[in-house]
Amino acid sequence: MATPNFNEEPKVNFCITLRTVNTAADRRKMRSVIAEDSEWTLAEVPLLTTLCLQHIVKNFEEKPILDELTGGHKSYVFERLSPSLPLTVSANLISDESYWRRRVEARWGPADVTAYGDSWKRMFFERHLEGVVELFIPDVTDIRTVLELVPLCRNYVTRLKVSQLLPPIKDPSRFDEDDASDCASDVGSDGPSMDHFDFGILLDKLVNLEELHVTYGVKGCGMNFEWNLFEFTFRDCECLAKALKSCKSLKVFRLRRSKVDDDKCCILVSHLLDHPSLLELDLSHNHIGERGARAVGKLLNRSKLQKLTAYNNRIRGPGAQALAHALARNTTLTSLNLRLNRIADEGGQAVAQALMKNKTLTELHLEGNEMTEPTAVAMSQALVQNSTLKTLNLANNRLGVDGGKVLEEGMSHNSSLVECDIRLTDVDQESEFCITQALRANQNHKHHHSPTATQHPSAH
Amino acid sequence: MRDVTDPARAPPELYHSNTFCKQNSHFRCAFLCTSLVAVHVYLLFLTSYKMHQTESFEADEAEPAPSVESDDPEERIKARRLRIAERNEAKKGRKLGEVLQRKETMKEEQRESQKEVEISERHMEKLKTDGLELVTNILVATDARESKRRTDEEEANRLRREKLENEARSSQEKYEEITHKWTEAKMKQTPLDLRDALNSQQQLCNQITDDKNKLINDLKQELKASDDRYVKDLRKEAKDTDLLIERMEEQISSLKKSYREKLHQIENSFGDERRTLLAKNRKKWEQQMKERCDKELKNMMHSLSLMEEHEDLLHKLRTQTAEEYNTDKIKLDTEVQNSRMKVQEMKFNCHLNQEKLDDKFTTLKKREEENSILKSQLKRKLIRTQDAVNNLKSKCSEQEKESKLENQSLSKDYTRLNQQYKDMQKKARHFAALDMERYEKVWLMNEAEVKNLAHRALEVDRLIHEQQLGLAWDSPPLDFMKRSGPIRSIQQDFRTAGQAAADALKEEQEEESSDIVEGSENTAGGVNRRIVKNILELLCDETGFLIDSKLQTLLSCLEKSERSLVKLDAVFSAMGIESEEDVYRMTEFFMKYKQLGREQRDHEAEAEATDLIDPKEILLALKDFTAQNCRPCGVWDSQHSSVLELNMRDDYEDAAYWESLANVIPESKLKLWAALDTALNEYHTVLTERAELLVETQSVKQQNTELRNLLHQYTTSKANSELDIHPTR
Repeated sequence: MATPNFNEEPKVNFCITLRTVNTAADRRKMRSVIAEDSEWTLAEVPLLTTLCLQHIVKNFEEKPILDELTGGHKSYVFERLSPSLPLTVSANLISDESYWRRRVEARWGPADVTAYGDSWKRMFFERHLEGVVELFIPDVTDIRTVLELVPLCRNYVTRLKVSQLLPPIKDPSRFDEDDASDCASDVGSDGPSMDHFDFGILLDKLVNLEELHVTYGVKGCGMNFEWNLFEFTFRDCECLAKALKSCKSLKVFRLRRSKVDDDKCCILVSHLLDHPSLLELDLSHNHIGERGARAVGKLLNRSKLQKLTAYNNRIRGPGAQALAHALARNTTLTSLNLRLNRIADEGGQAVAQALMKNKTLTELHLEGNEMTEPTAVAMSQALVQNSTLKTLNLANNRLGVDGGKVLEEGMSHNSSLVECDIRLTDVDQESEFCITQALRANQNHKHHHSPTATQHPSAH
Repeated sequence: MRDVTDPARAPPELYHSNTFCKQNSHFRCAFLCTSLVAVHVYLLFLTSYKMHQTESFEADEAEPAPSVESDDPEERIKARRLRIAERNEAKKGRKLGEVLQRKETMKEEQRESQKEVEISERHMEKLKTDGLELVTNILVATDARESKRRTDEEEANRLRREKLENEARSSQEKYEEITHKWTEAKMKQTPLDLRDALNSQQQLCNQITDDKNKLINDLKQELKASDDRYVKDLRKEAKDTDLLIERMEEQISSLKKSYREKLHQIENSFGDERRTLLAKNRKKWEQQMKERCDKELKNMMHSLSLMEEHEDLLHKLRTQTAEEYNTDKIKLDTEVQNSRMKVQEMKFNCHLNQEKLDDKFTTLKKREEENSILKSQLKRKLIRTQDAVNNLKSKCSEQEKESKLENQSLSKDYTRLNQQYKDMQKKARHFAALDMERYEKVWLMNEAEVKNLAHRALEVDRLIHEQQLGLAWDSPPLDFMKRSGPIRSIQQDFRTAGQAAADALKEEQEEESSDIVEGSENTAGGVNRRIVKNILELLCDETGFLIDSKLQTLLSCLEKSERSLVKLDAVFSAMGIESEEDVYRMTEFFMKYKQLGREQRDHEAEAEATDLIDPKEILLALKDFTAQNCRPCGVWDSQHSSVLELNMRDDYEDAAYWESLANVIPESKLKLWAALDTALNEYHTVLTERAELLVETQSVKQQNTELRNLLHQYTTSKANSELDIHPTR
């Protein structure tokens, strides 16, 4: 029987509801004798605790009572809390994963939480903040909408994947019929206060931010394509660079498909020099040329960078030489990706010579770089001397039959390389077979030494 | 995998069910055989009993081990323990065997399944890499296409640029030609020529524009072509993506399929293994069951025959015991009657005792109450005394504290006073020295004065004698006048013990050398010198321990007498003997001691003619002597030394000295002087009278002369003449 235990009751204002319930029960008791009612069971009478908890759930927005509750009651409340509670109430108060799961699923549908470190709450806030940033229109959206969110989500956001950034609206009347994501076509001369969302107001406040992915462009513009929807201005670059410098916890920075040219790359690098925590830098699908490559090379030896990805850029021989020069002295970098550049033999030979001195690099991608036989010769020499490199990708380079033979000879002296991609390199089948045999021997060797080591396929 | 029953887990259950089946069937057989449940149970009981029996028999056979049925309880316990241990061991052994067997089978299984797993793993790995290559081939191909496109584009760009440059150059040439022709045209005078020239110019211009248009068209076409290519590329890319996805899906499905197949294979292999194992185990089980069945049957038959034997035996035993029982019963009945009597007696006694005890109990109770009262009183007293003790203790501690404080203050006072006393002594000594000095000075001064006076008095006496009395003057004895300074006490006769000893020894030598026998001559102390010497020599020999070892080494090079002298000196200093007197006292003491000793042992000593003390006893004597004599010595010594300087002077002789100085003129002479004085005084008065009279006469004479002169003057003066009346007239 639900005996009204007033000692257990958390707050006085629930007395009213209690009393009403009690009087109702009394009245019923007076009118009908329970003993005669064959369908009456004790189970139907709601427990007082249940009533109280329901009340708490109902009035959670005005009066969030949580810490006073016991474990079972807490989970009861969490189960019933509305997923539309304002974030100001729920953000720092509720840590229950099931609640946030419900909230995420109510908002975005089913999702994979493993990508978010198995934390639904982190997932919610990251996606929420991403949404806010992605829909931010300069000079139209109030900057406070972002700033208000900061104290709520700063402890939970560790990764920010911004897949689009909207430019300011120049002439809204012209684009009334467009989608909500569409905006001004031409950058005005009278000057909006910013060209895109300014990360400077956000990054220094997110204390746990470790990963930042940014693309200066618009998603799904369809037939409304305009070149200046995909503009990455100097002003943006300055803002972004300063913001990156202010964010001391950042480990991974990815800026893809944003037309980063040499000058912008130099600006970014000059602000990233001596960054305390940056480990991975991804500048793929941009327009980086020789000067940009030189700047990145400088960054290599003035940071803790472990992974550098710069594929599909415009780096040619001299740029690659600068990078190779940096690589020869570097002791932190483990992975370098220069796929789809134009480093040619000039750069390929430089990189191969750098490999002779380098003792940390384990992964090197040089596909599609117009390299030919001289590079193969240099690379085979490097393979003989180097004993740290595990993955080498030389696909889509015209190494030729002789190059293949030279590589085969180099491979016969190497014992560390476990993956070597030489598809579409005009290499003789016989040498290819020999190389794969050598690789397999290395793999077995490694497998015997460390049976837990698994080989990751390099599917880029 | 999960659907298939685990072979490792399945057997026990199966075995259990099997055992049940077998047992059931076996039981059914038994039923058939006996067709009676009770009999069956009985048989079972018998078999178990028999088995126990056989076990115990076996144990007995092995060694004369303790049996469960033994009379001795300890032996039984031992037997049970042994049995339990045996059973446990048997169980353990069985288990171990099973485990070993299972392990072996597991090994085999693992070996087979492991092989299968490894094979499939390798296969899957290969499939995976192949699939990956298949999938990434598209990527590589796209990359290749893209790079080819880029090179093509670059080439096209280069060509285009060349073309444009060529075009620009040619158009520039043409333009220059036109401009050149313009100047030529300007030179033309005739309109016809001009027209011709203009036409040609126009043609040229048209040519340029045509060229340009053509170029533009070309470029436009190229643009369009590249647009098309872009679209184519897009399409191709879309196709590629589709292909990629398709291949991926294909890969996934094929991988899935192969995985499933492999899984199935592995499962099959496991299942096969399990089945073979099961069959093997089952066979074994059945065989063992059969064996057991046979054994049980055999046992049962055996036990049946045994039972019959036992039944006969039982019957016999029953009759025998019935007889015994009857006789026993009769015996016991009589005993019971006797004991009943005894019981009644005992009861009576008991009753008596109880009453007695009750009485005692009451008295004891009373006593106990009294005791408790007493106890409480004593307790109170104890508490009170405890309080008193505590009070006294506290008082005592207070007192102790106070006395300690007092003691401290007193000791402080004492030290302070001691210090003061020392200071005072120092002062006193200082003043004494000063006083001494001053005294000496005053003495000297006074002495000089007195001597002077004495001399004067003597001179006056001499003058009086010689001049006044006309007598010859002889000087009195004046030897004390020659002395000067204060008189000092003379201590010539105080000799030290060392000197005394030296004297004693030396005299002896002299005596020897001069052969003068002075045996009768006694020293100041009245002791014979020879004896003294002998004793001293003895002391020298016996008391070497009192002398420093260093000193002894030094002494070894000295003469015998000197050596003994120095030794004696050291001995004396050690014993505290200082004066000659002490030495003699010591000798006397020794003598007495000797005499005492002799009295004690008269007979023995009479033989010895020597009057010397026994060298054995000298140490004892010495000890006694020092105990008697030398203790006060130190005390006196310290006192004496402190007062010594102050008491040095005695003014006994001073008075005499000064008296003799004062009495340099004897009494008789003083009387003479007195008489002389009176006579002279009379003489003096007479003389003075005479002198006065002489003066008077002198003055009268002078008056006379003066008066005569005056008279003469008057008479002889002119005034007189002038006068009416002459005075004289």
